[in-house]
Amino acid sequence: MNDEMATYGTRDPAMLLIGERTFDPAPFDAISFDLCSRRKDVVIMSADLSTYCQVNRVKAELPEQHLDVGMAEQNLISVAAGIAKAGLVPVATTFACYATRRAYDQMMICMGTGPNTSIVVGFTPGIANPARIHHQAAEDLGMVRAIPNATVIDPMDPTDFRQALDVAVDLPGLVYLRGHRGDTPRILDPERFSFELGRTYTLREGTGIGIVATGHGTQWALEASDLLTARGLSHSLLHVPTIKPVNEAEIAEFAYAHDQIVTVENHQIVTGLGSLVTEIVSDIGGGPRITRLGLPNTWAPGGTLPYIRAELGLDGEGLANRIEGLST
Amino acid sequence: MRTNTTSRIRDLEIIAARIRRNVLEICRQRGGYAAQGVALADIAACLYFDEMRPNGNGWFHDRFVLSNGHDAIMTYGALAERGSYTMDELKTYNADGTRIDQSPIEGQLGFEITAGSLGQGPSQAAGIAWAERKRGSDKRIYCLFSDGELQEGNVWEAAMFAGHQKLSNLVYIIDNNDMQASGHASDVLGVEPVPEKFEAFGFAARRINGTSTREILDAFEEARNTTDKPYAMVCDTRLFDGIDCLQEALPMAHYVSRTGADWDAGIAEITARIDFLKEAFG
Repeated sequence: MNDEMATYGTRDPAMLLIGERTFDPAPFDAISFDLCSRRKDVVIMSADLSTYCQVNRVKAELPEQHLDVGMAEQNLISVAAGIAKAGLVPVATTFACYATRRAYDQMMICMGTGPNTSIVVGFTPGIANPARIHHQAAEDLGMVRAIPNATVIDPMDPTDFRQALDVAVDLPGLVYLRGHRGDTPRILDPERFSFELGRTYTLREGTGIGIVATGHGTQWALEASDLLTARGLSHSLLHVPTIKPVNEAEIAEFAYAHDQIVTVENHQIVTGLGSLVTEIVSDIGGGPRITRLGLPNTWAPGGTLPYIRAELGLDGEGLANRIEGLST
Repeated sequence: MRTNTTSRIRDLEIIAARIRRNVLEICRQRGGYAAQGVALADIAACLYFDEMRPNGNGWFHDRFVLSNGHDAIMTYGALAERGSYTMDELKTYNADGTRIDQSPIEGQLGFEITAGSLGQGPSQAAGIAWAERKRGSDKRIYCLFSDGELQEGNVWEAAMFAGHQKLSNLVYIIDNNDMQASGHASDVLGVEPVPEKFEAFGFAARRINGTSTREILDAFEEARNTTDKPYAMVCDTRLFDGIDCLQEALPMAHYVSRTGADWDAGIAEITARIDFLKEAFG
């Protein structure tokens, strides 16, 4: 370990993080309302889950920019694709499990083969839903990143969620974002953070272990990072919000600058971020060992998110212990 | 209101016969969905040469969404008559490396959506209709799909949406040919009564003979005059309708291989039909 770094501790190199954490109780409510106020060609679409995706202000105050197709996700996605083909910008919202599992063919064929901007926001992704298995889409990133030319973004907090959606409305073709709802920690400083498609963000800089994370996984990795810093274990943390098109060069540079890599994601450890980083390093060869943390080949339990995370060793303490264990 | 004059109907019947011949000339090269293309020729003639309004720029003001991609052969046959494609190029249909896909991808001239995964056209057409109406456009949206697709749940989600939204700028054209990949729809999974089902979902609906130019024109007119709900034209057809020798020989021909039909006989029959129409009304 680098003594100077160990003494200095792990730092936020770009000062992207807010010092004092607060929580946004309904990020998408404001994000969608502000977007619709600015862009009159945007239509926020629901499939009977507007309340549960926190599409409240648009529905109440800008009803001409809200369309509910009822409890019909295949129709949500394919009607949205039609709306896109008529020159408007649909933002189809539902839970990630329904968008991907029930309407994957519509995402791929109706949205994924054409040039018109077609956005899908999948809420309560991974284990961020108390209802186990059927509501927990822990494979959505892998499914959508397998679609050629699709864009896949897993933001970590309200700041990059907002900025990513602002970018998405001008991207061609299918854009899949994971959404945040309910009390979401404000982590990135909106004054300093600027979302750019494909860019990665170094949130902590150290030596030895490099943590690569996305979405909720970045939130969790930051909790672990605080504990690791307190324990004097130097490490780095890279936030990768853009899963596709991925910035292979930045991820490779980060990976080869560390002795070991740990990926942290709110997703199965296959097909998602861990696989992505592994693919990049494997293509080059001779890279560091990569340990993938997330949902292993198992169903997650239901319940509160803290409980589920603890059960899976994805709570801050559990992650810190697992990462620390790798260095010995 | 347009009048169904004898000359208008005759002209469309000649165009339909030429579309049928185009379909056979294309499919005889390497096989194809000839039976559907032939059966849909009258609908195609009425749609492309009468109902859809030109945009003054070489294309159409109104929009056509093909849901069952394999019926692209109908569109190819019709667009050849318009000069949008050459027959030389269309004869590469089904060849390796051609852009003349049997089931085309969104963006190819004449094809608004990627339509090979069945049952997804009606909802995309409904989305287009909803958005065009929201934008203040008077475009009318026509979507062709097959009775077999009625077995896909997505179609009924779309119908429920279109009826609820009262999309009067939307016309569903159902090719009710009682034939799907593995046999008669009435044997595989019955879909009737089709008009009544759409009426129950909030449509105005009419069952017509899908090879009667007059009935097709009347239905399109009724659709235009229906201002408070979407419209479903349930077009009864049978494979190879309009070419008796092929219909008799191949009543179950979902797909016809290069050697699977007597193409010469079919082309001779339809050529004689074209000559007859020209002479009879010339």
